[in-house]
Amino acid sequence: MSDYQKFLPEGIPDSHLPFWDSLREHQARVQRCDDCRAYRYIPKDLCFRCHGDRATWTAVSGAGEVYTYTVVRRAPTPAYQADAPYVLAHVTMTEGFRMIARLTGAEPEAVRIGMPVVIAYEDVTPEWTLFTFRPAGAPGGPGLAQS
Amino acid sequence: MGRLADVAVAGVYQTQQGDLSDCRQPSVWWESVRGACADAGLSVGDIDGIIGDGPLDPGLRDRMPAPGIAEQLGHPLRFHARSAVGAGSTASGLNLAAYAVSHGLAEVVVIANAVAGRGGGYASADRDEAVAAMAKLSGPYEYVYGTTRVSDCAVMAMRHMHDYGTTAEHLAEIAVAQRHGATLHPLSVHGRRGELTIDQVVGSRLVADPLHLLDCCSINQGGGAIVVTSAAGAAAVGRHPTVVLLGYGEGHSHIDPNAVEKLTEFPAARLAADTAFGMAGVRRDEIDVAGIGDHFTIGVLMGLEDAGFCGKGEGGAFVSGGGTALGGRLPTNTSGGFLSFSHAGICGIFTLIEVVEQLRQEAGPRQVPAARLGFVSGVGGVQQAFSAAVLGRA
Repeated sequence: MSDYQKFLPEGIPDSHLPFWDSLREHQARVQRCDDCRAYRYIPKDLCFRCHGDRATWTAVSGAGEVYTYTVVRRAPTPAYQADAPYVLAHVTMTEGFRMIARLTGAEPEAVRIGMPVVIAYEDVTPEWTLFTFRPAGAPGGPGLAQS
Repeated sequence: MGRLADVAVAGVYQTQQGDLSDCRQPSVWWESVRGACADAGLSVGDIDGIIGDGPLDPGLRDRMPAPGIAEQLGHPLRFHARSAVGAGSTASGLNLAAYAVSHGLAEVVVIANAVAGRGGGYASADRDEAVAAMAKLSGPYEYVYGTTRVSDCAVMAMRHMHDYGTTAEHLAEIAVAQRHGATLHPLSVHGRRGELTIDQVVGSRLVADPLHLLDCCSINQGGGAIVVTSAAGAAAVGRHPTVVLLGYGEGHSHIDPNAVEKLTEFPAARLAADTAFGMAGVRRDEIDVAGIGDHFTIGVLMGLEDAGFCGKGEGGAFVSGGGTALGGRLPTNTSGGFLSFSHAGICGIFTLIEVVEQLRQEAGPRQVPAARLGFVSGVGGVQQAFSAAVLGRA
């Protein structure tokens, strides 16, 4: 029985499960359009660029740079508040799409727009793995060379 | 077939705003509707159309409110529709009402918003419960990381500051201007706290950087309603100067924030405004008073830019020196907006009611002199959907 008190994903449609499975395998895969090759993060039925309806779950580099961020000081629940202040970042991945997660391994004051980051995985329960971003090359982070 | 401008906002009403947890939601709904009818010189028995939500009732009754309302009125309703632009649904509701009236589908259509009682979720009077419920509106790809409604907008402000040099003081100008309006409105939730200064706003604690506490609206309860009739009917009653809908537009662009190109510029807002201004045949510089969805100060700044009142990135300069205050270049959210008047449910109704009162010249100490043309931009979600309206005094 998990004592994890934060929100876990709810209502995930079966069609989205390959993404969440890929997190559990510590190798994020997102949809890539079979027709125009555009990547998209949160799964969709149509490609936003060419409207194709075929896509392949494709492994991503896990590297990107901070597009924008915030430091959350008033969190949604006590379990999150225990971590505050924490950084949430929108990151533009090298493949051209954006992802949203915590940015850990850097003091909030040190975070900058444009800062290079890489994905790190976090097994929060036996069923669910989430991810964070960490500064690229930071100690303890999965540097690009290791990925 | 009629035209939009043949339709008028004939009546408006707002209840007490704040903590209505001791009231029943249906009572607040009916008080709002009864009040708006009276303001229009009508009674609830004249209602033959409904837009949006009704009195809360379990299950299917909530999804299909018109039959239950008709039952209490003792006659069938001729029209019900519901718009879906979140808190910005009011302008879109007005458009639906105008459609019904201009097409002869109904003669007296009400739009009401009521939040009261001790129900849970984001209508709760309990702030912690409401904040937690609202956090999950973003969906599991975000809320698992501890996002909140504030953080969803804070990331926009952070990037806007980075790209355009917008400052915390620029955002504070908006909160200060709107609080002043609230001090002049007896129903406002925060007006009784008195005026704000820019130093107070930027000195309030950070909630999600760069947004401070006083950049954010609080969560409260309250009610409000609007009655829409033919302009000729409203003029015949003659209780108020007639306020008509001159133009309307919508824009819906994305649901996931990673799926929009920029978080500083929302083409759907521009689309809604362009459609509304084009239909109205009105220029931006003719607008006397505005109402722009202001869950957070950054929403007003970007809303002014995206609606075309200034260029992208020029919002900071536009709001400086009281640009959105009474007496400023474009008085905006003059009763205080969500920030200082009321943030309850489909709160865009309060934005719209204030613009109507301004155009009627009935805004008392908040009156924008000779206000004749108004603009309303309702924002749904986190800059995801927009409904824009140009209103005018006939």
